[in-house]
Amino acid sequence: MSFVSIEQAGYGVPSGGTILDRIDWTIGEGEFHALVGRSGCGKTTLLKLVAGLLAPSTGTVRIQGQPVRGPGAQVGFVFQAPTLLEWRTVLDNLLLPVSLERRPRPADRRKAEELLDLVGLTGLEERYPSQLSGGQQSRVALARALVTEPPLLLLDEPFAALDAITREELQNDLLKLCARHRTTVLFVTHDIAEAVYLADRVAVMEGGRLRHALPVPLARPRGRDVRYSPRFNALCLELRHAMDGSKSDVALERAS
Amino acid sequence: MVRAASALLLVLLLAGWEVYCRMAGVSALVVPLPSAVLRTLWDGLAGGYLLPHLWVTTAEMAMGLAAGCTVGFLAGVLLAEVPMLRRLFYPYILASQVVPKLALGPLFIVWFGFGMTSTVVITALICFFPLLENTMTGLQQVDPNKRELFRMLRATRLQTLLRLKIPSGLPVILAGLRVAVVLALVGAVVGEFIGGRQGLGASIIAAQGMMDSTMMFALFIVITLLGMIVYQAAAGFERWLLRRPWKG
Repeated sequence: MSFVSIEQAGYGVPSGGTILDRIDWTIGEGEFHALVGRSGCGKTTLLKLVAGLLAPSTGTVRIQGQPVRGPGAQVGFVFQAPTLLEWRTVLDNLLLPVSLERRPRPADRRKAEELLDLVGLTGLEERYPSQLSGGQQSRVALARALVTEPPLLLLDEPFAALDAITREELQNDLLKLCARHRTTVLFVTHDIAEAVYLADRVAVMEGGRLRHALPVPLARPRGRDVRYSPRFNALCLELRHAMDGSKSDVALERAS
Repeated sequence: MVRAASALLLVLLLAGWEVYCRMAGVSALVVPLPSAVLRTLWDGLAGGYLLPHLWVTTAEMAMGLAAGCTVGFLAGVLLAEVPMLRRLFYPYILASQVVPKLALGPLFIVWFGFGMTSTVVITALICFFPLLENTMTGLQQVDPNKRELFRMLRATRLQTLLRLKIPSGLPVILAGLRVAVVLALVGAVVGEFIGGRQGLGASIIAAQGMMDSTMMFALFIVITLLGMIVYQAAAGFERWLLRRPWKG
């Protein structure tokens, strides 16, 4: 049964522009899907429809069969920027989703500390965000989205601002964290290699439409060596062709 | 090092002033001798003449500051949170900003009589605006990503205000407080010029009536020191609040 189903979802702005055009997509429970596309193709908008931050103008988005009517407790969201509260410690930032609901209990603190452990930030509980590196801030943001153990995690280019090595480390952290509770994931990125490395299935968006879907049949767990395997590169190339699809056709026509 | 140089500069200036006045025989009515000013200041403080006035001015300033800042902060929160009220009231608030508040002094004397009340009201009115303006600005400058985070976490409006908007606007709000503290002293002293019976401002007017320039200079020194102390206190409070982020 599909965990997330997007049915004929469209989104337009009052000025007449269509940002999303009748999108159909389903994500099975525990699956990791990536959404790639150039900037401005509407991928962030689609993610916000799933999150309930935006309401679709046409069609519906369902999570576990229920139509999405607004931000819900079953969804964790990681933004492009870490979006930490600078005046709160790492631990307080991590517990923010809990403390907005109720007083954090010792069990919540233990869970937060365990998550910090998993992302390699042990001992930094009492630091403030300004005392952390960019990679560490992104780790806190990731852990914060998972502290309530939501069954669905949405990420909007969360690692785009990081250097290549840190990004790879965070991708591994993300895979590790999501595997723990078989979290269903929708990951938006413009980085082809990132999409192939992380996802079971990659959707290509262009001009507000889904153009292509590519399954990634690489075995898990995936390690560093996968990134340099011929199959990985072949998949990246295929995805690249899918992204360039319409444009390279035009170029070919001109050339002939 | 620089502090010592800056203190030395003061000593040199005072010495130059003293020597020039003695040599040129400048009338004490125009420019009094620094030594005479210091003696008057000492007598005033030790003899207890200045203390009640200092107390009255400090009290007026504190009450005006507290009242003006509290009302300004609350009004700022209200106008920032309710766009309808902002559109309704902002033109009037802008207009009242432009009115020189001290010009209202004589009217307040009619309403509240001579003495502390009218001075406190003027001071409060002067402190109201920087807090209102900075609170509104601070609360509206919240990072849109953080607002979206709070929406995603289903925070209530009150939670968003107390745990996101006020803490993130705090630096701007406290900058307004620092401006208000300086203005409060001006408000209290000038308010006393107009309608005070007691206080440092009223004492300046009294000294002027007696052509006592030496006393006027002594009072300037007291007012300056008072201003520096409250400014430093406000700056220290700001540093303390911003270094130890509050628990929400």
